[in-house]
Amino acid sequence: MRNAPFVSVYKFSARLVRRSRRSRLLGALGLLPVILAVILQITRAAAAGGGLDGLEVFSNFVMGFSLQFLVLLLSLFFGTAITADEVDNKTLTYPATRPVSKAAFILGKYASSVSFLLVLVLTSTVVSFLILMIDRLSYGTAWTFLGRSLAALGFGTICYTALFTFVGTFLRKSVLIGLVFCFGWENIVQYFPGMTQKFTIMHWLKSLLPGLGGGMGSTEGGGLTAFLLFRHEPSPAGTAVAVLLLLTAVFLALAVAVFSRKEYLFDE
Amino acid sequence: MTAGGRILRADKLGKWYGNVLGLSDVSIEIGPGITGLLGPNGAGKSTFMKLITGQLRPSIGTVTIAGQPVWNNPGIFKNVGFCPEQDAFYEDTTGREFLSGLLALGGFPAAEIRERTARALAFVELQADADRLIRGYSRGMRQRLKISQALAHEPEILILDEPLNGLDPLSKRKVIRLIKEYRTEGRTVLVSSHVLPEIEALTRSIILIHQGKILAQGDIHFIRDLIDAHPHIVAVRTGRGRALAAKFVEEDDVRSVRFDEAQGTVLFETRNRDRFFERLTRLAAEEGWEIEEITSPDDNLQSVFDYLVGK
Repeated sequence: MRNAPFVSVYKFSARLVRRSRRSRLLGALGLLPVILAVILQITRAAAAGGGLDGLEVFSNFVMGFSLQFLVLLLSLFFGTAITADEVDNKTLTYPATRPVSKAAFILGKYASSVSFLLVLVLTSTVVSFLILMIDRLSYGTAWTFLGRSLAALGFGTICYTALFTFVGTFLRKSVLIGLVFCFGWENIVQYFPGMTQKFTIMHWLKSLLPGLGGGMGSTEGGGLTAFLLFRHEPSPAGTAVAVLLLLTAVFLALAVAVFSRKEYLFDE
Repeated sequence: MTAGGRILRADKLGKWYGNVLGLSDVSIEIGPGITGLLGPNGAGKSTFMKLITGQLRPSIGTVTIAGQPVWNNPGIFKNVGFCPEQDAFYEDTTGREFLSGLLALGGFPAAEIRERTARALAFVELQADADRLIRGYSRGMRQRLKISQALAHEPEILILDEPLNGLDPLSKRKVIRLIKEYRTEGRTVLVSSHVLPEIEALTRSIILIHQGKILAQGDIHFIRDLIDAHPHIVAVRTGRGRALAAKFVEEDDVRSVRFDEAQGTVLFETRNRDRFFERLTRLAAEEGWEIEEITSPDDNLQSVFDYLVGK
């Protein structure tokens, strides 16, 4: 059976992504929510049922760690690596001298990185949810919250990775610039009032969370969540999804356009 | 495949890196058989290789393979194999995975990928190590693997950038044999090197490149003649330098004799290096002259090219 070029690149790249040191290191970071959930649950058990509410802890996890930190960092390192690794390791010559279009190359590699990240982030979120909510699994709002959280994390991974794939195609120090963008622009401008916050991807992701515009469930999130949602003026969930998909498509189109025109010189 | 499908053509090809000239006004046609691209380091060989494999875009001029432009035309790589100079691999894959993955990018079906991978590994004698990670391969194995990825899809045009670089003599012989074996059924093979004997071991047909320009193209005897037409300097260290100089100064191929007191050597400038060495050997063997050291300070390709460009 003959594979389409995109599928061939995806399969080849998926193997490289699974085996890379980056995946092992950052994969461990992705498991951090699970480890924290276990520790918190043990602490709660020791307090004989007292302590923090499971849903509140989970919402803090999603908002404070997974969405505002983990997804950004993983997307940054995997997205920029799509071309940077090939250039830095001087392996770009191999795919560049195969009958594979540059678009298929970029999109295939992007898809393999995003698949890996989605499995990592979503699995870790679901497992930590199950651990924290073990005694409240029949609570309907909790499942709604999980679903909306997974949607926000999933779209966040897809959109940010596309952005950093694009950045990686034309910047040599893309990680540095990416860090400034993630923890400067995204983490500050999202709290600006009015229209300005809509210039961040985070605004659209937060609009997917429960009780923030979609009308699906709500959370009585505690201090951290309340802080992170400070001044948030949610957009409708449908609009948020459309904007995130559009941004992803634009970033990928730009990445393909730059990659097709740029010459990559190795340091020799 | 017609002969035209195996022809690589550059027309007024030029490449600048900002203000730095990489290649200038190269017009050339390379057809079936092995052609050697010979030039010193920094001559523009790799730039030329990258231009003809579509990794760089020409600043001026055109480069075509089988009549089709190379830049942003991935379809041509169904019939082109390229072995890059750099020692770069996906280190965390095995040799077999590396080859099969690249063959998959070539669009072959799974069964054919397995078959071609096995054949390519056998061709470069890497079957026994096929399932080891590449990071554990020796330099010679890595070089052979690099060559195997270039020919696994059996391209009509094979382009090899310094394929013998850094190899031990045994590995070099193996690789030379592999390249010669591949040149069957009228395939086109282009090999670059900065070492004349390496190219001589592969082919008689060469292209000379220097400072981004093609100096000459033709039979290797041509460059040999050019080399022989220019004087060579031979330094001889002996305790009887002046007596030795007196012996040679009468010979008509010796153009000049100088003494380097600091080094204790006599520098002979000769038009016929082979004849000079023959006489020197005879003197040492038959008349018992004690000769401590013989060196030829300009016996390298750079000097030859300097002669050719009139430096």
